[in-house]
Amino acid sequence: MSDIYRTHILDHYANPRNAGRLENPDIAADADDPSCGDQVRIEVALDDAGRAAQVAFEGEGCLVSMASASLLTEHIKGKSLAELEALTEDDVLGLIETPIPTNRRRCALLPLLVLRAGLEDYHRKAGSREG
Amino acid sequence: MALDVQRIRSDFPILSQQVHGKPLVFLDSAASSQKPQQVLQAMDTTYRTCYANVHRGVYYLSEEATCQYEAARDKVASLINSPSRQEVVFTHNATESINLVAYSWGRANVGRGDRILITEMEHHSNIVPWQLLAQEKEAELLYLPITDDGLLRLDRLADLLDERVKLVSFTMMSNVLGTINPVREIVDRAHAVGAVVLVDGAQAVPHLPVDVQELGCDFLAFSGHKMCGPTGIGVLYGKQDLLESMPPFLGGGDMIYRVEQQRSTWNDLPYKFEAGTPAIVEGIGLGAAVDYLQGLGMEDVAAHERETVTYAMQRLMALPGLTVAGPPAESRGGVIAFTFRDIHPHDLAHLLDMEGIAVRGGHHCAQPLHKRLGLVATTRASFYLYNTPEEADRLAEGLEKASLVLRRSQ
Repeated sequence: MSDIYRTHILDHYANPRNAGRLENPDIAADADDPSCGDQVRIEVALDDAGRAAQVAFEGEGCLVSMASASLLTEHIKGKSLAELEALTEDDVLGLIETPIPTNRRRCALLPLLVLRAGLEDYHRKAGSREG
Repeated sequence: MALDVQRIRSDFPILSQQVHGKPLVFLDSAASSQKPQQVLQAMDTTYRTCYANVHRGVYYLSEEATCQYEAARDKVASLINSPSRQEVVFTHNATESINLVAYSWGRANVGRGDRILITEMEHHSNIVPWQLLAQEKEAELLYLPITDDGLLRLDRLADLLDERVKLVSFTMMSNVLGTINPVREIVDRAHAVGAVVLVDGAQAVPHLPVDVQELGCDFLAFSGHKMCGPTGIGVLYGKQDLLESMPPFLGGGDMIYRVEQQRSTWNDLPYKFEAGTPAIVEGIGLGAAVDYLQGLGMEDVAAHERETVTYAMQRLMALPGLTVAGPPAESRGGVIAFTFRDIHPHDLAHLLDMEGIAVRGGHHCAQPLHKRLGLVATTRASFYLYNTPEEADRLAEGLEKASLVLRRSQ
């Protein structure tokens, strides 16, 4: 049986890390899941070396999506763009540690989808700047 | 006569189990009901003793399976008081029944500029088939609005109904609000402008006495699995003259009379709409479910649910921060959708599950309705003939416990 309501997940839900917005994010995206209404926005500001110097998230949703967003923002701080791009679904589920029931995997993975959308958008804009 | 709920519960083997160490409280029958052993046994016996394909075999097993399958049709006809068995088409579920009408009747009868009228409280299965039809035919899809407490705005019907409306399709009972709609009144007013009426009976037929002759509707769609029957079997009732005038929906075996290389002629009703090997054993299971429900009496089933829901509404509404969507208990069936403080319905459903309580969190396949209510998702507890007031107590206690777990620091 899943025990997500008795772990560090509950702490990340009650006390979200990196909650809020950044002043000048380089990477920013949001998305919602119409099936449950979860909304997540993730912002990343890169330093000169192209590493995630500041990370913030904003959102509304269930414990799983909010805790996953909080954990993800902690995890990606200081990581390079290549490392962000290499993040897998299993990496994110691994951050949660506790097994997530199949029907709620979408909630857990929403923040990753948002981050990927942000990265895609970042590269598209970078491409058009260069082109 | 009041239902003997303890005896009924003993007919449902699944209900006696423990979930996460707690006695199961099953409150998701609006999504799909549990099955009594009478249904399970009927299906098992068919597979063990007289299973074969229906309608064509001349040998004993096929004859026996055909008799039982067709007897199920007679039982369904009797349950909804259909004037004839030919008007009872077996489909796979209510969704397919509605799609059958949208594809067959709709594509032959709805054209550019015509209107289809549905309501703001529909399930996606009674929205999307009409969107597809309207888009293809350049017809218009109109919505009869609801009041803030979840009743149809019948005062708006006069504005919306005119001879451009070819079809009116609405639910007899909302799967979110629990609202029971005044079918006869809407049918009469739709017929007065020449519109055909489809009633989505997916929630009503399992829970209320439904008489198609009394309702006067042209079509009635419902599913077996929400009424103690198996999945994979559904029903479309349709008036004979309409069904006869409609082109086939799916082509294949059983629905034909004669097949030549370039064309075919169609079988009689209802088989014209039943292409391919049907859900034989599921049909027989549905027949057993109808026997079970009629043995109890639909009036008594409805009365039991009204009583249970009235009690549950009182218990839930006494919880601070709990808001129930939809009308008061006297105008609703066995469905209670609610929000509770700022706790996300998925979390509530998950935490209640840890107490052995099965409810549903989400939009319940009614996104436009939730948008109309200003909500993204709700938690829904739905009651059926096997639920007790004590289970409503367990639900209320479970909610209180959940709110303690998810207290946020902010």
